[in-house]
Amino acid sequence: MYVELKHINKHFGNFKASDDVTVGIEKGKLIGLLGPSGSGKTTILRMIAGLEHPDSGEIIIDGKVINDVPASKRGIGFVFQSYALFRYMTVFDNIAFGLKIAKKPANEIKERVHELLELVGLSGLEKRYPSELSGGQRQRVAFARALAPNPQLLLLDEPFAAIDAKVRQELRSWLKGMIQKLGVTSIFVTHDQDEAIEVADEIIITNRGRIEQVGTPYEIYSNPKTAFTASFFGQPSIFKDYTKFRNFESIENIDNAVVRPEFVKVTKKTEVQKYSKSAEEGIVEEVNFRGFGIELRIRVNGVVLTARRSFDEPKVEVGEKVDVFLYQLFVTEGNEARLLKNQSLREPVVVI
Amino acid sequence: MSTVTQSSLHRDTKGSKIVRYSLIGLSLLFVFLMLILPLITVITEAFKQGFAVYSKAVADDYTIKAILLTLEASFFAVAINTVFGLCAAWSLTKFKFKGKKILATLIDLPVTVSPIIAGLIFLLTFGRQSPIFSLLQDADIKIVFAVPGIVLATIFVTFPFISRELIPVLESQGTDEEEAAALMGAKGFTIFRRITFPHIKWAFLYGVVLCAARAMGEFGAVSVISGHLRGKTNTLPLHVEILFNEFQYVPAFAVASILVMLAILILVARSVIEHKGRKK
Repeated sequence: MYVELKHINKHFGNFKASDDVTVGIEKGKLIGLLGPSGSGKTTILRMIAGLEHPDSGEIIIDGKVINDVPASKRGIGFVFQSYALFRYMTVFDNIAFGLKIAKKPANEIKERVHELLELVGLSGLEKRYPSELSGGQRQRVAFARALAPNPQLLLLDEPFAAIDAKVRQELRSWLKGMIQKLGVTSIFVTHDQDEAIEVADEIIITNRGRIEQVGTPYEIYSNPKTAFTASFFGQPSIFKDYTKFRNFESIENIDNAVVRPEFVKVTKKTEVQKYSKSAEEGIVEEVNFRGFGIELRIRVNGVVLTARRSFDEPKVEVGEKVDVFLYQLFVTEGNEARLLKNQSLREPVVVI
Repeated sequence: MSTVTQSSLHRDTKGSKIVRYSLIGLSLLFVFLMLILPLITVITEAFKQGFAVYSKAVADDYTIKAILLTLEASFFAVAINTVFGLCAAWSLTKFKFKGKKILATLIDLPVTVSPIIAGLIFLLTFGRQSPIFSLLQDADIKIVFAVPGIVLATIFVTFPFISRELIPVLESQGTDEEEAAALMGAKGFTIFRRITFPHIKWAFLYGVVLCAARAMGEFGAVSVISGHLRGKTNTLPLHVEILFNEFQYVPAFAVASILVMLAILILVARSVIEHKGRKK
């Protein structure tokens, strides 16, 4: 493990920002710290950087406990949420700042800055001031500035939050490619699940100062271990009594059932459905256009589920009676989650 | 359709021509009566008996001493309040600590307290009735009815001017840029010089100008603590009062005209700074 946090606790007044946080990060990985606002993800990042200090616990980088090493000596590059570019310095001086502080020779600085400008695709803009750049360009400058002293660890706080949606998409793949190319161990904070899934090699889910789950995006999405993780992704419908839906194993003491839209198959009465025998009848309450397809809200067995249909399927009307089939659902007990599959999927299919 | 609603909306928010012109006219009349007319009076009264009398009044020994004392007190007030203002503004905006709100409120105290009271405070603290008076006397330090008292009173009255200009600017900047610089290994003074100061430069200069203007014109607090010793503890405003009370109207207005010119000079400096600051 390249970066390790061991039993970290941190309070801000009465607010517990980190609650016994223990997690490890492998060298060369791109890690997404994902959680709702106030879940303690930025605090973890700032503690690794040395901008905050834990009340207790150890922070270890490359085998050394660095709790008492000042932020400037940790060899960490940090990209701030608002980029924190020095507004009274040119792009060149921004990127060169850390190198000048380290008293590198002028020609070396010049070479390195131009190399970085080329890397982030901003050659020719070195005389501009931050206020003369677009949001995406500013982020690239912030990225180049953080990389200038060759850090072993790169930390990014909500790197895409201040950028409009269209450029954000482009920058996500750019940043992922860039970090993979450089091979620098990186941790970025985000509250956006899509962003974490798309960019990160591994996701650390935080909630209320605790680590909920660590794993690849696929593992975390498809196999949530905690109630929080199960309900964090997608647009889940959460309800109490799942036993009204037939063909699911019955378990005692379940708190909630979590159903994501992709677990729900909606078919019109006139359409052929493979599992129509075990489908339930529902009534369409809302039909909403969502760009990627149609989103439906369907009342079935007293609960309202969110489901999707694509454009090439026949249209569904509000008030229409439809067949609803659940492939699977998560059930939670305390903070534990487990997956239940519809048992009719295992039975031999009888087509009528 | 849309142009009709727009122009009627415009009329609703901005008012009719009559309202507009009468408001502008009223403001101009007010400024003329309250500001321009007195200024003209000061200048014409000063030159009433010709330039020779004017220059004699201005070149008078006591007047020169009063000018020098005023400049001296203003210089110390600006210098000390600069250091204090920077410290206070920095700590109030960049640190979290207990009693922060109290400090922020206390800084404004000199603006709300009458200058006479301010003078009295120092008179009572360092004067003959004070328990520390004997200590000061033993150490041969004179504060009351002496130049240090005048400087102290001037500092007190102009206390919040610089910090009040800096606080909003520093607050809007946040701490990100400083943190970024610190992460790259920059030390406190480098951070201040390279990151913070360029940001607060114009607000800071503006504060200095305001502070200087207020320091030169201060009358109340200084009047109480100075003792009106001509040639020793007489600042320009006090000198004007003395001349006026002695029915020496032309010299009084002549000396007053110096203060007016200083004020105009500061006003010009202020607009230049404001203009440059806005361009940034």
